[in-house]
Amino acid sequence: MIQFDQVTKRYPGGNEALKNLSFAIDSGEMVFLAGHSGAGKSTLLKLIAGIERATSGGVLVNGQNLSKLRPSQLPYVRQHIGLVFQDHKILFDRPVFDNVMLPLNIIGFDRRDAAKRVRAALDKVGLLGKEKAMPIHLSGGEQQRLCIARAVVHRPSILLADEPSANLDRAYALDIMELFKSFHQVGVTVVISAHDETLMEDYGRRIIRLREGQFAA
Amino acid sequence: MKHFLYLHLLSARQALVKILRQPFGSLLSLLMLSVALALPLALYLGVESTQAWVGKLTATPQISLFMELSAEDADLAAVKSSLAGNPKVKSVSFVSKAEALAGLEKRNGLDGLAADLDSNPLPDAFVVTPVTLEPGELDMLQKELSGLPMVESAQFDASWAKRLYGMVELVRHLTLFLGAALGLALVLVTHNTIRMQILAHRDEIEVSKLIGASDNFIRRPFLYHALWQGILAGLIAWGLTSWLVATANPAVREFAQLYNERLELRTLTAFELLAMLAATGVLAMLGARLAANHHLRQIEPH
Ligand SMILES: Nc1ncnc2c1ncn2[C@@H]1O[C@H](COP(=O)(O)OP(=O)(O)OP(=O)(O)O)[C@@H](O)[C@H]1O
Ligand SMILES: [Mg+2]
Repeated sequence: MIQFDQVTKRYPGGNEALKNLSFAIDSGEMVFLAGHSGAGKSTLLKLIAGIERATSGGVLVNGQNLSKLRPSQLPYVRQHIGLVFQDHKILFDRPVFDNVMLPLNIIGFDRRDAAKRVRAALDKVGLLGKEKAMPIHLSGGEQQRLCIARAVVHRPSILLADEPSANLDRAYALDIMELFKSFHQVGVTVVISAHDETLMEDYGRRIIRLREGQFAA
Repeated sequence: MKHFLYLHLLSARQALVKILRQPFGSLLSLLMLSVALALPLALYLGVESTQAWVGKLTATPQISLFMELSAEDADLAAVKSSLAGNPKVKSVSFVSKAEALAGLEKRNGLDGLAADLDSNPLPDAFVVTPVTLEPGELDMLQKELSGLPMVESAQFDASWAKRLYGMVELVRHLTLFLGAALGLALVLVTHNTIRMQILAHRDEIEVSKLIGASDNFIRRPFLYHALWQGILAGLIAWGLTSWLVATANPAVREFAQLYNERLELRTLTAFELLAMLAATGVLAMLGARLAANHHLRQIEPH
């Protein structure tokens, strides 16, 4: 479960990205996050992942109040979350396989089981044949799939995807959405942001609309 | 717990493999460090090896009183009785000029030397063993004795040994100073190596942090890298000095034999070797820790 309690996020320099937001996302729910550029979508996701900290208010994730945790404890919260970053954060100096392996290394997964897990994740996103490829040789859509494989390889209970369908054609974007739906169907809490609402409306899920850091009507 | 150990082992092994596969340039800097460390190590061994010998030399100072060549028996008797009455003198032995010449012939295999000489060129001498071992008092005694009638000179046998002892002390201080300076150099060099590595792995570190790597996890490979670097540098330094000792020892032995002494440079004991490797390892890790703390803080997220 994810719960925001009167959360305000002010960046250094006085920029208020989120203003007094309160909402909750149930365990196993699939939710969309909509809003124009600068509305605060990425900021909201980063607060859930403990990458940024709330200026005031409480952020509860899986029963833990992130605002009360010491900075040194935040990494362990992140280990239970899968993240698809808006700017991908792919490591281009190593093949696809090693990129997907990274989260398993971090949680200290047994090496042999890890290789199986990595292949399963790559299979799930349709990249099994490309495990030895360098990421620079992947298409934009394939890079996006690589990010998704890396986000789910350690089987997190929460999956946060920041504009995973940006810059993809509609058919490809729908493929990606189906992928997220399949994770949702096995019980993962999924939060997906996008500024294109037409894609979300087909799914009949809850949409949290943001405008300048507040709920839009 | 087992899992924890497994992770550490994995890190240690990966770091070692990485060091051994390093580009030639970084191996060169490792070698440079080792050569630098070999210097105080060699000095240390030099001091440690000669110490017992030098100590033996200085522990029995003696003052030799050489009489004027024209000294008569009466003069000798006068000096002898004044020495006997001196409370600072422990014992006295007399070496007559004839005995001295005979000794010289025998030692140097110059039989018949005395016969060839018109007169004995050597002086009569008293060898005085003083009560005190304290250098200041010894100097006073030497002055006092050289003032006795018909005494040509009073030579302090131990004076050169004392000088040697002082020199060894100096070298010992130099060793300490060099050791400390190079220990510091070890910290700084690893600090720099690790800093470069962190900068080179910036992206990986950032992504790892973003997906849940703790600071300890990120630091671990760098600390192990530093540990191995320190240990390897120590080992190479040890190898270099062992080689140096082995090469120098025949010459040292031969030299010592000229003075009827047995002297040999020794290598490090197992305990000393372990202590040194522990020290270089810890110092290198200290440098890495400082670099990691400083530079990891600059990589988002915090
Ligand atoms: N690190 C930062 N420092 C200062 N201001 C920031 C920072 N990150 C975001 N902001 C500001 O916070 C506001 C919200 O940014 P955010 O990235 O959350 O928007 P977004 O909805 O994700 O936009 P986009 O669709 O363009 O990704 C913006 O005004 C942005 O300028
Ligand atoms: Mg964004």
